[in-house]
Amino acid sequence: MSAHWAALLTDTVCDNSLRIDPQGVAVWALQFSPRVALKDQTVLLEVEQSLRLFGGEDHVHQLVETGAGELGISQVAWAPTSLAALACARLGMHDGFSAPLAKVLDPLPFECIDAVNAHGATLARLGCRTLADVRKLPRGGISRRFDSHLLLALDQAYGLRPEGYPWVTLPETFCAKLELPGRVDTAAALMFGARRLLVQMCGWLSARHCGVTAFTLYWCHDAMRARDAGDGGEITVRTAQPTQNLDHLSRLLTENLAKVTLKAPVGDLVLSATEVTPFMEETLSLLPDIRSTGEAVNLVLERIEARLGKKRVLRPVLTEDTRMEWMNHWQPMNAKRPISKVRQVPGPQPTWILKTPLLLDVKNERPFYQGPLQLLLGPERVEGGWWHRVKAPEGDGQHSLNVARDYWVALSQHAGALWIFQQRLPKDSAASWYLHGLFA
Amino acid sequence: MDLAILLIYTVNDKIHMSAALQRIVNAVTPAGDGVSQPFDAGQLPNNVSQAIWRGTEVTQASQTVVASGFPSLDVQLPGGGWPCNALTELLQPQPSLCEWRLLAPALAGLVASGGQILLVGPPKRPHAPGLVKLGISANNLVWIAADNPAERLWCTEQLVKANPRGGAILAWLPQARAEQLRRLQVHAQACDCPVFIFRPQAAQLDASPAPLRVLASLGTDWELHVRILKRKGALLEGTIVLNSIPGTLESVFALRLMRPSQLIAKPEASHVSTLGSAVNRHRLRQLAAH
Repeated sequence: MSAHWAALLTDTVCDNSLRIDPQGVAVWALQFSPRVALKDQTVLLEVEQSLRLFGGEDHVHQLVETGAGELGISQVAWAPTSLAALACARLGMHDGFSAPLAKVLDPLPFECIDAVNAHGATLARLGCRTLADVRKLPRGGISRRFDSHLLLALDQAYGLRPEGYPWVTLPETFCAKLELPGRVDTAAALMFGARRLLVQMCGWLSARHCGVTAFTLYWCHDAMRARDAGDGGEITVRTAQPTQNLDHLSRLLTENLAKVTLKAPVGDLVLSATEVTPFMEETLSLLPDIRSTGEAVNLVLERIEARLGKKRVLRPVLTEDTRMEWMNHWQPMNAKRPISKVRQVPGPQPTWILKTPLLLDVKNERPFYQGPLQLLLGPERVEGGWWHRVKAPEGDGQHSLNVARDYWVALSQHAGALWIFQQRLPKDSAASWYLHGLFA
Repeated sequence: MDLAILLIYTVNDKIHMSAALQRIVNAVTPAGDGVSQPFDAGQLPNNVSQAIWRGTEVTQASQTVVASGFPSLDVQLPGGGWPCNALTELLQPQPSLCEWRLLAPALAGLVASGGQILLVGPPKRPHAPGLVKLGISANNLVWIAADNPAERLWCTEQLVKANPRGGAILAWLPQARAEQLRRLQVHAQACDCPVFIFRPQAAQLDASPAPLRVLASLGTDWELHVRILKRKGALLEGTIVLNSIPGTLESVFALRLMRPSQLIAKPEASHVSTLGSAVNRHRLRQLAAH
């Protein structure tokens, strides 16, 4: 049976800044195939069975190499056997499929296979340089003079004997740690390291066929910190719908991190997926799915919410109250909405409303707003609210939000139809007019 | 003689086009007798006749539009309604003047088919009970309370990019500059929903990349005066007068309140006690009862 191996070297680092955790890379690689093995500092990955699922050889190569690049791995090699892939990766070769395997391997120095390199000194004295030289030696002599691993490894590398590894298993929960190369002072700069953890998390999510609805980024302060700074901090990012989308998650995290101020420089990052739910992947069918665009709008609204804050992206909730201010209130986008149906208030209602009613000028008993107002329709008496008690702004007494108002529809020549009211309180002797809404 | 301009959309079929041109020339200039015949696009092959646009025409059928709900306005708008895939600039003498009166009929149609109405930085708080009465249900309304100009622009751009199909984006961008609007317009070309940008009347003197610019102001007696400052097609001189009583008031108005200009002429009518008689008695009783 043919095989398609990739070797990802984690000990050669491309930007020599972040150390790569082979275990984390292995978890990330499990999204492509369940056959992932760790050998020393290398992650070996067999994808033969997954080629068709991921859209062919070239596409798999591209996916693995881009992902590996994001994780900081520069050296990826492909070959029909794992040891050949490893040898190619160590020598900086990319494609072990370019020629028949024996032709690819023969000119390589024998140091690139560990079991052969163990006897490197003896082999060198025998005049061997390349793997071809070692293979030319009589097999009987090799097995007698050296241990059995050498022949086994040679045969496995050339695909003459099967290879077996203890496969890496997928953890039930995700929690990955990253040691930052230097102390990071600003929260926004944490994104560089956090992105790498997010890549790992997305790999884990897609291997488990799950989506994340909440994840937490913890940071540990550096050892040389001020005493009052504490050990570290954390930030939890939530999404409405489970997602595996790396770009969306990292944008959300960027927006959230932008609002964080670090109390001390940070040395370590930990990312954990706190809430994970099964995930329905988008269909890849030929026919376009109309619903998918609606989801995209929700994602964008979430992103806007992450930047502006929860109190700025709002949806209305109607309540059964005759007072204008409490007829509807605005709640954050993802808050739970009441199911009960609300009866509509009879009579006219404006379309814009002022947050606090605006006191109007009165001349000759006529209210003024951009000129004299013509009262058209009214009065509509709105009374009540004595049950609605809130804490007074100063002192600890309570006062009720009772209103007694006569609402009128007034016409202004410049501002159109307005919704104004006359305060009806016994202590107010003079009739005071307020502008409260506009029929725009 | 009609002036016809032939727009060549598909240059691939060159032989076909030149043959069509030949036929136009034949049709337009009859041999030497000097009698002009009206140009008939129906004589042309189908694909060519569709590609012909006359200088006097407004309508272009290729664009998707949302009917505005005002037949007299639809006639003058290119395609017969508010355009999708483009910015629409609405100018008003002052903010929160007649947004819903002008747009509610169109938006109610979008909401009925499940679209979301996304408000970016409106100048006042939207009042959902009033909007529900106009047919914009509370579940389909999102208010993004973005305060500063940069936030509004960013939010609008993100929403336009997200393409909320079936909905509408209403953004108040009084301070937006032309290059910022151009950026939005480029994104809006891929957006399948109408995008309305509200700006002050003073902006009518500035150049704008929006393909449709409309100036709306109040007239007498519940009229809306709409001027189309810019559109695809011939310039429209003059004002379109739309009769639009704010949605929730129409049902409670007595007949004489339909013409408030006659009331304003009488100064004593403004007095509270005399006004009671101007109100539809039956409706008033209902109002007072609840």
